[in-house]
Amino acid sequence: MRGIARGMRRRPPKYSAAALAWKGLRGDPWPRVWRDTELKRSYDAVVVGGGVHGLATAYYLARNHGITDVAVLDKAYLGSGASGRNTAIVRANYLTPEGVAFYDRSLQLYNSMATDLNINVMFSERGHLTLAHSDAALRTMNWRAEVNKLQGVDSSVVGPDEIKEVAPSLDTSDHPRYPIQGALYHPPGGIVRHDAVVWGYARAADHMGVEMHQKTEVLDILCEGGDGPEGRGAGGRVTGVRTNRGDISTPFVVNCTAGWASLISAMAGVRLPITTHPLQAAVTEPVKVFLPTVVVSGSLHVYISQTDRGELVFGAAVDPVATYSIRGSLDFTEELAGHVLELMPSVSRMRLLRQWSGLCDMTPDYSPVMGFTPVDGFLVDVGWGTYGFKAAPVSGEQMAAAVATGNTPELIAPFALSRFDTGELVGEKGAAAVGH
Amino acid sequence: MTMSRLEVQPTEVIDRSTTLRFRWNGKRFSGFEGDTIASALAAAGEHVFSRSMKYHRPRGILTADYWDPNLLVQVGDDPNVRAGHRLLEAGMDVGAQNVWPSLHRDIKAANGLVSRFLTAGFYYKTFMRPQRLWPAYERVLATFAPGGKVDPDTPHRYHDKRYSHPDVVVAGAGPAGIEAALAAAAAGARVMLVEHEHAVGGHLRYAHPEPARAALAELRAALAASDVEVLTDSTVTGRYEDNWLGIVQRSHPVAVERLIKARAKVLVVAPGLIERPYVFAGNDRPGVITSVAARRLINLWGVKPGERAVVFTANADGDAAAADLERAGVEVAAVVDGRDGRRVSAAQGPPKALEAVVAGGTRTEADLLVVAAGWTAPTSLLNMAGDRPVYDPAAARFFPSDPPGNVLATGGLAGDGRLDELRAHGAATGRLAAQRAAAVAHRYQARTARALAVTGDEPAWAADERAPLRRDRHPELYRSDTHGMVDLSEDVGSKDLVAAAREGYDSVELAKRYTTATMGSAQGKLETVNTVAAIAEARGETIAQVGTTVWRPPYAPLTLGALAGRMFEPVRVSSIHPWHEANGVRTIQAGQWIRPDHYGDPAAEVRNVRTNVGIIDVTPLGKLDLRGPDIPKLLNLLYTNKWSKLAVGKVRYGMMCAEDGVVLDDGVTGRLGPEHYLMTTTSSGAAGVWEWVENWLQTERPDWRVHVTPVTTAYASINVAGPKSRELVSRVVDGVDLSPEAFAYMEVRTATVAGVAGCFMWRIGFTGELSFELHVPAGHGLHVWEALMEAGADLGVGPFGLEGQRIMRLEKGHFIVGQDTDGLTLAPSTGMSPLIKLDKEDFAGLPELAWAADRQLPLIVAIQPDDPEIVPEEAAQIVRGDTNEILGRITSARMSPTLGRAVCLGQVEPELAAGGTKLTVLLASGQRIGATVMDHHAHFDPAGERLRG
Repeated sequence: MRGIARGMRRRPPKYSAAALAWKGLRGDPWPRVWRDTELKRSYDAVVVGGGVHGLATAYYLARNHGITDVAVLDKAYLGSGASGRNTAIVRANYLTPEGVAFYDRSLQLYNSMATDLNINVMFSERGHLTLAHSDAALRTMNWRAEVNKLQGVDSSVVGPDEIKEVAPSLDTSDHPRYPIQGALYHPPGGIVRHDAVVWGYARAADHMGVEMHQKTEVLDILCEGGDGPEGRGAGGRVTGVRTNRGDISTPFVVNCTAGWASLISAMAGVRLPITTHPLQAAVTEPVKVFLPTVVVSGSLHVYISQTDRGELVFGAAVDPVATYSIRGSLDFTEELAGHVLELMPSVSRMRLLRQWSGLCDMTPDYSPVMGFTPVDGFLVDVGWGTYGFKAAPVSGEQMAAAVATGNTPELIAPFALSRFDTGELVGEKGAAAVGH
Repeated sequence: MTMSRLEVQPTEVIDRSTTLRFRWNGKRFSGFEGDTIASALAAAGEHVFSRSMKYHRPRGILTADYWDPNLLVQVGDDPNVRAGHRLLEAGMDVGAQNVWPSLHRDIKAANGLVSRFLTAGFYYKTFMRPQRLWPAYERVLATFAPGGKVDPDTPHRYHDKRYSHPDVVVAGAGPAGIEAALAAAAAGARVMLVEHEHAVGGHLRYAHPEPARAALAELRAALAASDVEVLTDSTVTGRYEDNWLGIVQRSHPVAVERLIKARAKVLVVAPGLIERPYVFAGNDRPGVITSVAARRLINLWGVKPGERAVVFTANADGDAAAADLERAGVEVAAVVDGRDGRRVSAAQGPPKALEAVVAGGTRTEADLLVVAAGWTAPTSLLNMAGDRPVYDPAAARFFPSDPPGNVLATGGLAGDGRLDELRAHGAATGRLAAQRAAAVAHRYQARTARALAVTGDEPAWAADERAPLRRDRHPELYRSDTHGMVDLSEDVGSKDLVAAAREGYDSVELAKRYTTATMGSAQGKLETVNTVAAIAEARGETIAQVGTTVWRPPYAPLTLGALAGRMFEPVRVSSIHPWHEANGVRTIQAGQWIRPDHYGDPAAEVRNVRTNVGIIDVTPLGKLDLRGPDIPKLLNLLYTNKWSKLAVGKVRYGMMCAEDGVVLDDGVTGRLGPEHYLMTTTSSGAAGVWEWVENWLQTERPDWRVHVTPVTTAYASINVAGPKSRELVSRVVDGVDLSPEAFAYMEVRTATVAGVAGCFMWRIGFTGELSFELHVPAGHGLHVWEALMEAGADLGVGPFGLEGQRIMRLEKGHFIVGQDTDGLTLAPSTGMSPLIKLDKEDFAGLPELAWAADRQLPLIVAIQPDDPEIVPEEAAQIVRGDTNEILGRITSARMSPTLGRAVCLGQVEPELAAGGTKLTVLLASGQRIGATVMDHHAHFDPAGERLRG
């Protein structure tokens, strides 16, 4: 709360039913959601990447630490990358104590986000079903449920009858190929309106003085004193960034990009163990709402939710080939449709409206890379694979703390870049590889 | 607006001699063969077809085709059917969607009264407090979801797929597309012509008879005489890498729909143009229609679209519509000419009808307003090919910029011209397409090993020497001096877009996401340019500066059923399965396989194996046939142990790791000959390991000479286990000395089994008993199984299933990858450290395991509950005393028939791994029980004397 008082520069125009009514009656326009300002020549900190992670980092820098002279740079528009392309599922039923603690904090922040940020992010706590189609899968579900129970996370294994009750459209019959034998049910999981999270963080950060700069591409990161060419690399420190709109000097650069994380880091002479894979998703035309929960099938590599607009949103596993291309493929939609119909034959006549793809930065241990790097002042919050959206609030909070205090917060210590030098990898593969 | 059927039109597509009866919202209606649902309803005087998404405003016909946002209806269990496109069938049960309680009395229309508060994105600004009420708000918002209903009993009916490899695919069979197809075929190309509508001809179909009629007849005749494959009611839904096309064929004689996957050497894009609505007050009112809709209604279906019309025209098609209206007996009360700078400002009347049109301050009474304000170029397929179309303000539309050479545009997309000019451009495009396709074909053939080597040089890549089509001037007509609807399917108005842009959502992508404009059923085909225009206006920029959103596949929505097709997800059973079924098997799902779990009493099966002999069908065991001189290199790379010295006739166990050192799979590999090995994998890992092996060979070590063939299903596999197994096997095997000296544990032999040559067998097993694993050609599996049963009758031979095997392997303490290990289990945790050779030059996982060498890792240990009767759940947590601190878990647990007590495997923290350590196991019931770590993994016969016998 102390941070708010320090960070606040402008009185926020509150969103509320009353304000909506008043402006509606008077025909008043709403003020800009974030200002459109000139790019300054210097900032206390620069965040690269105007997605949920970058904006959350900027927001918490201002709110929790009073650091408001911050620029968030994005080469396109805010939320143009993975933030606006993910399937917006949040959950906390992870497998390791570190994973649970981290994602549970994120879920808490999502829970209170609408009131914290004064924007309705439409967090729909609708429950999350991870289906088991074999006794082996059921065994894993039991394991996750037992671990979650001991860690205070609400999740349990349910049988076909209970599944039918929660989601009547699922085919729980004695199916020959992928019988639904049970599921891990996680009531606190759900979906969030992902764009609203982007706009909410941007708006709240803007109110505290943070600047959002769209169409501002980082061309280079300026360093000195490092062991690489032009002062980059280990032992050096950041002095600024070069953008398509000119140079900026700053002592802190936080790389919050996805898809381009390794390229941006390379500008500072920092190598990341990341390969970039596309992840595809698709959405159908709307129909009347019939699917009340999030449904995930690891064996079928599919996750399904129905938005309040009535569309079914589908996602799958990352494409097997590393590439920066984000054109969708036909094979993806065919396999996806086949798998969806295995679970819910009744949607055979629903029409696929749109498919798209985003980029996922995959690390060897399916966990992110967060915190300090060998280059002083250059921090990373990258390698978020397919699970970045659900972690955005806690990541921003912790990254902001790292920048402000100069120390690595405990929650993100396991995700340090240095683990790839010591081999102490994080073990969330078991839970995260299934994805959503 | 009162519609009615006209007298016979020369261009009509209906058969007035065939009347089709159907139901609309429960009432009886009829139409003619050839009618669409919408034309039949319009002819019957219906003019309201749906309610809009947010304000539930009554909506009528707008474009009278597939893209009409107002004509989505429910047909039986089929939601969101395009009534402007779907042909009428007898007995159809058609209903309006998104109405409550009915189409004509819709209570939610009250939302329109408060529309000033429900501006785009209003929901982001409210419903936040009190937080606990949000779920209730959410439920109400969800009732506004538009669209039809999914009946939970809808089956997935028969859908088909087809592969095709045409030289040229032409998307769009208007005059230019037909000419392109004909010219390409004449030049020797195999051509597929795909038309979205139910018949070829494009705009000629609804053009007034002469000379269009003659041209259409000529083109149809030429098509009929050609080799062109014509697909109507079909759409090229997507263009993917290398001209991989998805084509959905909606009218198929047998299948509900068919998805054609075509690798086109050249794609010709000729979809024509889509008429764009104009934005003004009341532009979504029933009675306001596009000029194309008016002409389609009159000329295709003989439907009179109204009685008294105002025509707003800015082009020749609008003029033609005015002429059609007059001819059809519609009084044209006024023509507002957009080329003179005149504009329509408002369409007025009660909600469900049009009464008057205001233009230039003049109010004209009319029940029909026909609008011809310009065109949208449906460039989707070009966008999917990487093209970024460019806006030309003089022509008021987008044009292709620089598509790849194997994608060519023609027709209206490429420019304007007289009919003969468009046809000539189409023909030139077809010739160019055929030339380029020949070059591509030559390239494909030259790169593929084939019996008939390709001859001659590759044809030169033909230069594009087509005379470009001209671009007619067209006024930029997007919004009038009033505000109106931009996206009719999403109820997004120009006011919403301007407000959103001023609020900061001022790029087209942000505005789209914030307002949801262009996200509806037509995916922007009607709305995108008007959306961009509204944002440009708010920003004081040009349309070109604002740019468009990216058009993504599919071009037209297609059903999940069509994409899924016949769903080839095979259920696999072994060739022995009929025997199992005849003998009381209980099956279990194991990966892709249905396997025998047991035959009634697994404990008895175990006892029989331990005392006599049992046989188990282990066909699903993954099997890879490896040939070539570099196999030892491959095995050394894949497995953690050493393989260079494996002699012919020997078998070795190996464990594979992923690159992070986590156990991936395990199994035995035997050397059958100098350059011939057989690798086995776990049943569930069969496909993954094959992929893993191929990945290494193809991408990392392409120079290694190893050929891999998956032979899992080529062999039926039977394990013969038990003290009497040697006796049994000796009765069916010829030509192999089975004595322990001649055929020792961990050896492999080729043999003739029960008269079947080409079998091999090795002495290994999972049960801990003396055992022989037979791999016989799959077709003979049942025969060999029956021969074993017969030959061993006096020995007490009996079948055993997966459950019995799992019990026995647990008694022996063998871990199962994926059950006792998980996605975090590094190889040393298995207790197999002697098999992890960190001194090898390389193997998958080596760097990570070298790092882990001096770390304390969790370990797999054998555990016995102190109370022998309690079998903990597999997943029960091992905790510290009365706390919730997790120290490990039970991974396998069974009651052992051999030992008469519960036996387990589990993973524990390293400090608990020593034999004799006391553990606390937390059962799912909440009860905590005591258990003890064993000295050895094997609960039974730790020295392994039985299996070596």
